[in-house]
Amino acid sequence: MADDITNCRDLEAHLAPYVDGEAPPATRRAIDAHLDACPPCRDHAETEAAARDLVRSHRDSLSARAPESLRARCREMAQSPISIDTPQSTIRQSPISNRQSALRRWAPLSLAATLVLAVAGVFLFGLNDRVEALAASLAVDHVKCFKVSDGDRHADAAGAERRWQTDQGWPIVVPETSPAEQLTLVDVRRCFTTDGRSAHMMYRWRGAPLSLYVLPESIGRDRVVDKMGHEAVIWCANSRTYAFVTGEGHAGDLAPIVEYMKAHAK
Amino acid sequence: MAFRRPPAGRDENGFADAALSHIDSLYGTALRLTRRAADAEDLVQDTYLKAFRSSHQFEPGTNLKAWLFTILHNTFRNMRRHDGRNPVDVDSEAVERASDDGPEVQSPEQILSRATLDVDLQAALDALPEAFRQAVWLRDVEELSYAEMAKVLDVPMGTVMSRISRGRRALSEGLQARRAGHGVGLVRKHG
Repeated sequence: MADDITNCRDLEAHLAPYVDGEAPPATRRAIDAHLDACPPCRDHAETEAAARDLVRSHRDSLSARAPESLRARCREMAQSPISIDTPQSTIRQSPISNRQSALRRWAPLSLAATLVLAVAGVFLFGLNDRVEALAASLAVDHVKCFKVSDGDRHADAAGAERRWQTDQGWPIVVPETSPAEQLTLVDVRRCFTTDGRSAHMMYRWRGAPLSLYVLPESIGRDRVVDKMGHEAVIWCANSRTYAFVTGEGHAGDLAPIVEYMKAHAK
Repeated sequence: MAFRRPPAGRDENGFADAALSHIDSLYGTALRLTRRAADAEDLVQDTYLKAFRSSHQFEPGTNLKAWLFTILHNTFRNMRRHDGRNPVDVDSEAVERASDDGPEVQSPEQILSRATLDVDLQAALDALPEAFRQAVWLRDVEELSYAEMAKVLDVPMGTVMSRISRGRRALSEGLQARRAGHGVGLVRKHG
């Protein structure tokens, strides 16, 4: 292939394996011949070899050590069983109830297994509609994020808003901690279930996990969806979609807290 | 209607342990990609979630680290797509020429002496166009093969090789420029 490298351009793709000592013998000979006759290319090869050796000799100092907290969270995801169990009170007589009962016998499942179920859910539960699929995946994200977060944290809404604006480049208004609503803001993070596009506001409400997601686009329909044992209330306003997710309470109980979120989140 | 139980088995813990043994590599790579510790942590966490979820797709006997890197880079690319920030187009003529135009006033040994400060090297690496940085990092720090890199970066192997080459030379020029800017004298390797 490379037994005759006359053109300097031809050399480009062969230089890395040459410098790394991985070029086949015939190619190596052809490159040697070219370099002997071409000082600029010889300089290239020498520069490249020196840079390679330099990076390799600094490998240890260039490498980073993962923070302990990250290590612990990832280990947790692999090992820790979590329950997708649904409190009896939230199971309604819907065609899904029987399937939920079937699911409940499997709890506790690993987080990984829960995600597999969520994907399966999209097919098996017929969640071919975009809103339902979103609700199902956010329900899983909700469980996941609370599983790996520090639930005792208290976050400052104004600070989180500033950080979001700086880091993500679009504004959000985060509903604040409200003793009257028994609501505590725990964290605001980027939601990777939506490929990092949306804001995930994490709360404790009456001690239980509650999530509010803000997507910077409107999916155009308001819905209440009951998926995977989680209640999701989805609404659109100002070209954004809001998704409220909790595994606690039922529709009657939820109305005031949903209203609070609708009134304060932007 | 039957659920298929996720592949549970004797190997599940072994797989998780093996995957988690690469967390430092993944974190270091994520840091180079995102350049922000918080984003790097999110990226690594999401990579492990996806890895554990799709562990059945991993082919035993192949390089687990390279497989994890593929997930990491895919996840990163998705993040970037939705951020609206596009990776630098490194194959543009301008960038290609840029790495050929540098004045050759010192020998490579002079420029790239072993006395190079870690911090300079780190900064010069971070200053590289993204595709060059990834190529040099995966090859010279993480020691992936060209074929593994082609998979991770989702580009042909020839592109991988030329990015490594150009990336290394651009790094050398970056270091040289940093030193000129700092007024730091060169340490001569040979006398």
